[in-house]
Amino acid sequence: MESLTLRSFPRAILHVDGDSFFASCEQMQDPTLRGKPVITGLERGIASSMSYEAKARGVTRAMSLRDIKKICPDAIILPSDYELYSLMSLRMYDIVRRYSDAVEEYSIDECFADLTGMRRSLRMSYPRIAEAIQRDLETELGVTFSLGLAPTKVLAKVGSKWNKPSGLTVIPGREAHTFLAQLPVGDLWGIGPQTASYLTKKGVVTALDFALVDEATMARSLSKPFRAVWYELRSQMVYPIETEKKVAYKSISKTKTFTPPSTDPAYVFAQLSKNIENACIKARRYNQASRHLYAFLKTQDFRYQGMQIELANPTALPHVIVRALREPFQQVFRAKTQYRGTGIVLTELEPSLSQMDLFGEMEGVAASYKIFEHLDAMADKFGKHSIFLGSSFLAHKRGSHEGYRGVAPKRQRALLKGETKRRRIGIPLIGEVS
Amino acid sequence: MADEKHIAKVIHFFRKHKRMPSIAELTKLAGFASKKAGYDLSQRLIAQKVLAKDTTGKLVPRQLFGGIKVLGLVEAGWPSPAEEELVDTMNLDEYLIENKEATYLLRVKGDSMIDAGIQEGDLVIAERTNTPKVGAIVIAEVDGEWTMKYLRRGTQGLYLEPANKNYKPIHPEEGLRVIAVVKGVIRKY
Repeated sequence: MESLTLRSFPRAILHVDGDSFFASCEQMQDPTLRGKPVITGLERGIASSMSYEAKARGVTRAMSLRDIKKICPDAIILPSDYELYSLMSLRMYDIVRRYSDAVEEYSIDECFADLTGMRRSLRMSYPRIAEAIQRDLETELGVTFSLGLAPTKVLAKVGSKWNKPSGLTVIPGREAHTFLAQLPVGDLWGIGPQTASYLTKKGVVTALDFALVDEATMARSLSKPFRAVWYELRSQMVYPIETEKKVAYKSISKTKTFTPPSTDPAYVFAQLSKNIENACIKARRYNQASRHLYAFLKTQDFRYQGMQIELANPTALPHVIVRALREPFQQVFRAKTQYRGTGIVLTELEPSLSQMDLFGEMEGVAASYKIFEHLDAMADKFGKHSIFLGSSFLAHKRGSHEGYRGVAPKRQRALLKGETKRRRIGIPLIGEVS
Repeated sequence: MADEKHIAKVIHFFRKHKRMPSIAELTKLAGFASKKAGYDLSQRLIAQKVLAKDTTGKLVPRQLFGGIKVLGLVEAGWPSPAEEELVDTMNLDEYLIENKEATYLLRVKGDSMIDAGIQEGDLVIAERTNTPKVGAIVIAEVDGEWTMKYLRRGTQGLYLEPANKNYKPIHPEEGLRVIAVVKGVIRKY
């Protein structure tokens, strides 16, 4: 077989992927959970992460809790502790940053790093650097990670998936073909099931088949994202490492379900109002605003009732949106119907005009922004929602979940002296020691 | 962390020029070739709350000088001598925590380490490591539970020794799984 390229590492890209990250974090902080089928996602009613023990029993992502109990009666199902997962995630990024400044925070349990040029300053080969990163991560975080080292992101992803859990797979460009020959084309990052079945029909079965399609055919029959994958498989970097924090969103959505479902319009509206506040907090953080909004109610039989509103001016002020939604809400809300969720989407976001507007009629808006600037500062200091709109009151009072799904993560039930429900020390508390 | 040395350089720049560096100057200070890397550094320092951006987008100090607030300084535009002296202080976090990424808290149950001054209800600061030193107070996993004891070496290898004569030393049958060393104890009254 012929190599796709002669060079091993024209660039050295590392992909770091947490193994069953949420469930592993839970097992790290509670040694009694080790070796047992652990599942997170209790509050959602479906599995969001499963330990390897649970996977071995056939539990899959998004499986309902009822089905899980059927196939795995001894499963330990925990509420998600996003605070813990986020703290661990930041630590993951920072450990990788010890070895390279160019780290892309891809998701809560994944990151990419560009190690190109670090051999000399670290006095290690690329595979040695990857080993050192893996050793630091696993020792200091107590969670295993799978790593892939390759000349491009797509190949690095192939590597991190190759040998899980706790694997490290090095794919030098000149050996990439031996890996790709064994990989179905649909397992590649960026190739969805539809494209995969299209390619398979055309005789492109493995990832190597795909990489060997000639350039002219490829350029003619595939759209841009798939062409990028083709180049990346041939060790030509198309996807750069993006080290910049997200600076803006195209749209922001906030949705929440609650249990038990409710027929009370005031409570359902309060849930919607709380989502609106959350969406606006995020929009203000990125200095964005929207005038095209979409809100919806979710009924117990999984039907959606949507409301679309257009505002005269883009806004990131929750009370403006709440006011605009009152009437549409009354129109769509059906009496005696069980509602289980609400949501808001701010679309076509644009840079916020904020305080700078010169028109007289906007003065009130400017004053409101000033107020919310202070509220945001207070939230930084005292915790999110330390002050909220009256229209959200019922949602705060009752909480989103009653019954078993309303169980808070352990950390929130074990507050240290001086901590509050909203603010805790930013260091994982891993239980009791005797 | 790698950014520590950059922060020191920013402080030095501030003392010398009585103002904060621009992104271009920050890039030069840190020795980066590309302005992008300098920008990334500024974003990281903003995320770490060391720096902030003012309304015109210029960098301003936030907690550049340890945990000490420098609000007065921003308004005046000139550092007062007292604040400059505080540049060489550290905050409690820095004092208590050496390796931030490896540090965890545990709450103490029982009195097996009472003679080491560690009481029930105390919080211990532990650092995960693979290379614990004999004589250190360590956190080990024994029978699916965390236990905190002195790490000792005897004729039959490593074992755990409590700091309370009412408890017996622990000689784990299948290898000892030490996961962390205790770096400090917090007791809040």
